[in-house]
Amino acid sequence: MLNKTIVKLAVPMAIGALALTGCGGGDSGSDGAYKIAFQGPLSGDNVQLGQNMENGIKLAIDQAKASGDLDFEVEYVSVDDQGLPDKATTAAQKAIDDESVVAVIGPAFSGPADTAAEMFGAAGLVALSPSATRADLTTKGYKTFLRAVPNDSAQGSGMAKYLSQKVKADKVVVVDDKTDYGIGLADVAEKDLKAAGVDVVRQSVPQKTPDYSAAAKNVVKNKPDAMIYAGYYQDAGPFARKLEEAGFDGVTMSGDGTNDAQFIDLAGDASDGWLLTCACTDATKEEATKKFAADYEKEFKQAPGTYSAESYDATMMIIEQMKKLHAEGGVERQALVDALRGAKYKGLTKEFSFDDKGEFTNQAIYLYEVKGEGIEYQGGIDELVG
Amino acid sequence: MSLSEFWDFLVLGVVLGSLYAVIAIGYTLVYGVLQLLNFAHSEVFMFGGYGGLLALTALIPETTPSGTGSVVYVLIGMVAGAALGGAVAFGLERVAYRPLRRRGAPRLVFLITAIGASFFLYNLAGKLFGRNPLPMPTMYENKRVLSVFGAELTITQVLILVSAVVMMIGLDYVVNRTKMGSGIRAVAQDPDVASLMGVDIDKVVSRTFVLGGLLGGAAGFLFGTNSQVWYTMGFLPGITAFAAAVLGGIGNVRGAMLGGLLLGVVETMTVGLWGDDWRYVGAFVVLVLVLMVRPTGILGERLGRTA
Repeated sequence: MLNKTIVKLAVPMAIGALALTGCGGGDSGSDGAYKIAFQGPLSGDNVQLGQNMENGIKLAIDQAKASGDLDFEVEYVSVDDQGLPDKATTAAQKAIDDESVVAVIGPAFSGPADTAAEMFGAAGLVALSPSATRADLTTKGYKTFLRAVPNDSAQGSGMAKYLSQKVKADKVVVVDDKTDYGIGLADVAEKDLKAAGVDVVRQSVPQKTPDYSAAAKNVVKNKPDAMIYAGYYQDAGPFARKLEEAGFDGVTMSGDGTNDAQFIDLAGDASDGWLLTCACTDATKEEATKKFAADYEKEFKQAPGTYSAESYDATMMIIEQMKKLHAEGGVERQALVDALRGAKYKGLTKEFSFDDKGEFTNQAIYLYEVKGEGIEYQGGIDELVG
Repeated sequence: MSLSEFWDFLVLGVVLGSLYAVIAIGYTLVYGVLQLLNFAHSEVFMFGGYGGLLALTALIPETTPSGTGSVVYVLIGMVAGAALGGAVAFGLERVAYRPLRRRGAPRLVFLITAIGASFFLYNLAGKLFGRNPLPMPTMYENKRVLSVFGAELTITQVLILVSAVVMMIGLDYVVNRTKMGSGIRAVAQDPDVASLMGVDIDKVVSRTFVLGGLLGGAAGFLFGTNSQVWYTMGFLPGITAFAAAVLGGIGNVRGAMLGGLLLGVVETMTVGLWGDDWRYVGAFVVLVLVLMVRPTGILGERLGRTA
């Protein structure tokens, strides 16, 4: 009997508690602060990439505040999608429900961006992604999705260009990891390599395969001059080890999903000589970003990672537009979308502007190489191929 | 597939399969004794990986050890992995299952508890050790040392094979030839009669978990050495090893070993023939086909009768 009473009491109380927290979320904007949200993987398997970006954004907000020329408050909030499409809707809803959020940086990954962009569109909330690179994201008519990074077509083409013109490969094995990102990147690379007259063998190795030995054997048995792995560092690590064990001696190449110091940790010596492409420049090498790199390192006790500087730029770009809007009376979500669409911003890494589909107008791709303990910046692919 | 490729993939399959076999034993032992599907065993395996990793990270020197040094560190890693695996399995039985057993909870409750424990454990590991994968410290230079029909094996692969075989023979001996083993088999056959004959059921159940945990933990260390260690690494090998246990006849120790080897080989051969896309398709087609012909698995069920 007692148990039943408790249950009867507990249900309305639980509902009441939920309702209360619901209200709390909506009201939090009343203190007048605008929030910039970040959506990306802050837990789960690719957390490092999320942290790189989060730190860049935090640094930008702190520096904008410290500069003293903001006459409004900016706060940072994060919504965690673990980099997974099925977690993305909840994360996006959290950002949308918080009325003080005026802009979202992200979603960081392409899969989540695809599931969440529609929702942001309906809410009139800008989703400016410095890292979601799948080519078709800007062709689906999402109303508020802007991309501040060259897409996978550019990156895949860059890979193909380098392998066909600089390495002069006759046969290339292209391996994707069955994620949206990997397949998109691999498709473009395959198409461009074939167009350049290179023999292509396409393989798929799903993420988190428990044993990469067989996959490595499959690459080796085709005897290619080069191999492209389109996937993330977590899998590229063990794959690189197994390729070395299998005695693969061709050129090995991967994209921005692998372009992280974690890759070297996981692959050990086997990572040596891997070529990594990225739409990102090296913050510690390029003149313009050196100060950023120093500040970042001071704040977070690690060197900036992939897309840290780009996230910083994206945040600064948003804050700049917020300043203008605030001076005109206040920052509204939709007004900010429109302002960003037409904006031009000279960031640390590059010039930012978008075409009418929200696609980034600057499509340069850069090449890196793993040498010993570090990932060394080689320069722009167009210049390298010459 | 050329003949040399066939041997390459077969050998890789046997290596992977022997790992599956060792994990599968953990499922089968517990099922045999309690008719419980201990889905948290995949997390015991995962903790084994971290056990080895943590011990080695703390102890291993800067330069890559060689000779006897390597052997010592491999043993340290293996023992640490097994110990943490055994400890987690022991704790799991005490905290999650024993209270349910005392209250005579229905089977379904055990199953849900197992799944809940699994979620809890891997998220705990994610909190404790971070969610980024970690590489196992280098214990030796992973050279190719052995050639079997032209397929060249690395030290890691030989290590996995040898340790798996030793563990399997050892376990078979324990279950069939020792007093503890006859206790396990007795409880598996008929717990009521066993307890009338003076077998302490709680003790036997606890030991069964620890035994499975030791093997699972050691397998986790080996898996981590071959690949890397991360907090959800138990999921896929766990499911596959569970399937292997069913394939061989769940509750049957030798069946689990056979099922593990078979699934490993079929999986890797499938990859060799059609690519990684088809890895689990091949394995599970075989599983279904075998179960259609022999619904209780290749060697049949029951730990007590046939093990």
